[in-house]
Amino acid sequence: MKGELFHIFRNTPFGREIFLQSLYTCKTMGKKAKVLLPGFKQYLMYFEHAVVTLELDDSFLRARATAETHARELAGQAGVDITFLEPREFTASTLPDLPIDFDIMTCPRSMKDMSSKVGLGYIGPRVRALVRHAPFPVLIPAAVFKPFNSLVVFFGGSEYSRRALSVAREMAGKTHMPLSLFTVLENQDEAHYRRILEQEGLLAEIESGHIKWQLAGGQPLREAFYSVPHDALVVAGAFGHGVVRDIVFGSMLEQIQTILPNNLLIVGPQCVHLS
Amino acid sequence: MSNQDGKLAQDGATDQQGGKKPRRSRRLIEERALLVLQAVLVGLVAGGASVLLNWLLHRGQVLQRQLEGSWQLVLLPALGAVLAVLLVRRGFGDMGGHGVAEVIYSVTRRGGLLRRRTIFSHLVGSLLTLGSGGSAGPEAPVVVSGASLGSAAAGLSGVSERRRVVLVCCGAASGLAAIFNAPVAGIIFVFEAILEEWTPFSMVPVAIASVVGTEVSRLFQGNQLPFAGKNLQVGLHDLAACLGLALLSALVAVLLARGLHWSEKFWKRTRLQDLSRVFIGGLAVGGLGYFLPQVMGEGYHVILDALGGNMAPGLALVLLLLAGKLLATCLTLGSGGIGGVFAPSLVLGSLAGLFYARLLHLVLPQVLFAGDDYFALLGMAGVLGALLKAPLTGVFLIVEITGGYQVLVSVLLVTTVSSWLSSYLEPLSIYRRELQERGAHFRTRTDARVLLGLNLTDLLERDCHTVHPEMSLREFVGILKRTHRNYFPVEDTGSGRFLGLVHLDDVREYIFEPRLFDVVVVADIMESEPVTVSPDTLLPEVMQLFETSKAWSLPVVYQGKFLGMISKSRILDFYRRELLAEEN
Repeated sequence: MKGELFHIFRNTPFGREIFLQSLYTCKTMGKKAKVLLPGFKQYLMYFEHAVVTLELDDSFLRARATAETHARELAGQAGVDITFLEPREFTASTLPDLPIDFDIMTCPRSMKDMSSKVGLGYIGPRVRALVRHAPFPVLIPAAVFKPFNSLVVFFGGSEYSRRALSVAREMAGKTHMPLSLFTVLENQDEAHYRRILEQEGLLAEIESGHIKWQLAGGQPLREAFYSVPHDALVVAGAFGHGVVRDIVFGSMLEQIQTILPNNLLIVGPQCVHLS
Repeated sequence: MSNQDGKLAQDGATDQQGGKKPRRSRRLIEERALLVLQAVLVGLVAGGASVLLNWLLHRGQVLQRQLEGSWQLVLLPALGAVLAVLLVRRGFGDMGGHGVAEVIYSVTRRGGLLRRRTIFSHLVGSLLTLGSGGSAGPEAPVVVSGASLGSAAAGLSGVSERRRVVLVCCGAASGLAAIFNAPVAGIIFVFEAILEEWTPFSMVPVAIASVVGTEVSRLFQGNQLPFAGKNLQVGLHDLAACLGLALLSALVAVLLARGLHWSEKFWKRTRLQDLSRVFIGGLAVGGLGYFLPQVMGEGYHVILDALGGNMAPGLALVLLLLAGKLLATCLTLGSGGIGGVFAPSLVLGSLAGLFYARLLHLVLPQVLFAGDDYFALLGMAGVLGALLKAPLTGVFLIVEITGGYQVLVSVLLVTTVSSWLSSYLEPLSIYRRELQERGAHFRTRTDARVLLGLNLTDLLERDCHTVHPEMSLREFVGILKRTHRNYFPVEDTGSGRFLGLVHLDDVREYIFEPRLFDVVVVADIMESEPVTVSPDTLLPEVMQLFETSKAWSLPVVYQGKFLGMISKSRILDFYRRELLAEEN
């Protein structure tokens, strides 16, 4: 439902960390959480032009007897309202459908495929498909709960990064957290990005110092990224440069995920505004 | 949409950059031409997949025939089924069900969206299940595979939902047409069993895809009639006898549908893992096949025997085969085997027809009926039509696979009567029954499907004036003067919790009595337990609530908090807009 964060709960210590991150995000944004206690290993999400399969590993189905109790306890401690989602529609008897009308979704950290290497920097095809088609941004939390106190947008001037910027500005409005931009100078000079920021109506705020804008270029990304605050929520657009470039060169997004341990909010090409 | 001068842009007028906009008619032609082209491509690929599966199946059945009479035959279906489930569930990760139901669900509820993995998973699964002797048909997997191909093709070109549904149907029709060398049956099956509507928009591309699929099949397999019939002489007494056959066909169809249902329930109750289930089910089929090898596999050789007069005389064997095939099919599919019911229903139909013919000869030896093959053909159509609730599909399939239009009248009679009779016990087709059990049965283009495309939260009227239970009638009347609303939600002053509803109609008698203004409070005039809906309530259910409550608006409440009102007029307005959008 609009105004909610969707979370698939895993009743394990690692799952607890992810859930705490979801709850913190809800708390700061004034949202409620819709929690799924999975009873199946696969769920389908039907988007406008694609159906994405969420494949869960066995850890999501363990300890179901205590899952609800644990989830309620954590939510109660965090002061966040949660409700539990019971799938009502099924593509097949063992293949439930999930709704998609959420504001944000916390992505299961480990899925059945290679995205179990997410922690090593690889964003697998399932997560990529979810990001590509979802009308909501996808929150990929850090491995351990870390409250974020600011928002950093990786702004590359593309349409998708502008969308990420738009989402980040909305979040900054709701959370009252400082917002800053981070631009890696790749093929364009600073003037090019300044023009775009002027179109976005942000140049004045940047020049007044209200929004910090950091430019990085001429140094390895691993060094440049060091200046991203450790306690920032990194907001980035899914660049969507195409399969070839994604495979051969590796997207900026994957490098962000590889190098930065921060919580990451990915804004895909189909994202709409937060409610 | 207006241009820079603020004037409405018209077809052929200039756009904001001063370029010519294509006329709507030209745009339509281009879109439809593209759809036809896509239909051809889908038809080619789906037809090719169908041919490939058919070829591989026949290779696989060689092993089965070699093992006939040996103890290894008992193990073969079990091993094949286990391998199928391993590959499909663990390998492809496809937890899907019985195929055609999934296609219908996709078309009615999900705008034709199907997972790409089902292009291959059902083909591979059915190949292993059938190739090892499981009693099922390859037609449903081919339909699913073709439909998924159509959905994938639509996804690549980013077409609208309406066009995607058409491409799904193109794939399904092409697959079926190719496997039977029956283009008309492919088309009619899609419209009768899947789409349940006939529109010019969808008919042309589906027909083209079906023809293309058939031609692909003829290119590789030749233009042979699967069951070429003899020249039949049909008399009035044969037509009269058809009525009895229609009844028998209806009974067989109902038995098959219920048998499958019971078998599935039985295996679910055992709580065995999927691999154990199919293994045991396969063993049972193998055991049955050891004594009755004719019940194994898709069974088209049984049909050939029935039509060709090659079956041993007497009723007992036919009845035994009928029962054996029924049991084998229920064991295979009920335990989780992958395949369809098309082929088994044709086999059962031919056996039922043969049984009926021989019974007629026994009971009325002095009457010269048309022949065993005549009734076997009609039985095939009767059982298929009754099972799928698709009588025309049965008619045209039989006519096309036998090349015999002489039986057209008889086939029409048997299929329509058997469909009608069977609907008393099984009102829905076997596919839609599965959907109904999941609460997912909706017909295309009916109110329910269109309404399901609407989101309740998008239709909420939030500009409501809330009141509090302690509010005096005087204050309430003051609010009435300023608002156009007829419904007023009542919220608790402290917690904001929704407590009830005040409807203007219910308080009319009070608001013209000034002496009550300071005496009566809202708590006295509110309805404390009104019918409410939650944001998750599906719109068809909301419409049902409007019917039962006779209300024109209902409050939407979530976790005790009032969110807004949902009105019948607003739903109907959006429903109309949705219909218009679909037309475009």
